[in-house]
Amino acid sequence: MAADKQTKLLAKQLFKLSLVNGAVSPEQVAGVLGWVEQHAPRRPVALLKVYHHRIAIELAKSHAAVEHAGPVTATTLQQIEGAMSRRYQRVVTASAQPNAKLLAGLRVRIGSDVYESSVAGQLATLSV
Amino acid sequence: MLSTFLAVTETAHESGIAQQFGLEPKFVLMQVVSFLILFGVLYQFGIKPTIATMAERNRKIGDGLKHAEETAVRLAAAAQESAALIKTAQHEAQKVIDEARKIAKEFADKQQTEATTRAADTLAKAQQAIALEHKKMLNEARSEIARLVVQTTEQVLAKKLSDADRAAYNEAATKELTVN
Repeated sequence: MAADKQTKLLAKQLFKLSLVNGAVSPEQVAGVLGWVEQHAPRRPVALLKVYHHRIAIELAKSHAAVEHAGPVTATTLQQIEGAMSRRYQRVVTASAQPNAKLLAGLRVRIGSDVYESSVAGQLATLSV
Repeated sequence: MLSTFLAVTETAHESGIAQQFGLEPKFVLMQVVSFLILFGVLYQFGIKPTIATMAERNRKIGDGLKHAEETAVRLAAAAQESAALIKTAQHEAQKVIDEARKIAKEFADKQQTEATTRAADTLAKAQQAIALEHKKMLNEARSEIARLVVQTTEQVLAKKLSDADRAAYNEAATKELTVN
């Protein structure tokens, strides 16, 4: 069921209530879900889908998925967290995900942004 | 003639010859009168109409000759006019033929020019298509060669790179990503 304009507007308002200092607050999210459960607004399923989508996007912006080939130290992840936190003006956490296809190097995904410095990437540039 | 005849009769009477030959003047006079009457009748109903008919025929013949002369003159004029008309028509026909030849030549020249232009365009397009095809083929060959080189390089690097090499590369990548 597609959400109508009023449902999207309500989901946007609930999403804004879920942020504390620009970051998603678990307590605020729990409060929003409790309000939805108690008051049963119109089209609750569509409302929760839109709300979930916005929360997922926001959480993805606060999490850096670091793909790597070869060993990566904790210091490397901390450096990446610090750099991305400064760049996006928010607290960004990083998690390592091995990817042998990179051959060597890193690929960092934050939301829809991708930063890459890997041997596979450079070879792909050569083959174009 | 009647007076001459009377004179002869008078003379014969006077000389006695008439009596000698048995001529009677009154019979002679009656015959003369009869002859004159017959002559008058014949003249009135025979000779006069015949003369009138002949005069009419002569007049008609004259008119005919006159008309014939006029007709001959008219025929000559008509022949001359006809000749002039034929000459003019021949001149006009020659002009039309010359014009038609000129138009046909211009049309043929135009067709030839257009055919030459079309041939040149077709040739140019064909050359462009060949050039594009050649360029496309070169690009495809270059891409394929690059793909093979990259694939080979990836396979070699996957085997040859050690963990130390990868760790060093990761350190360099971390610096590159965190600087900007």
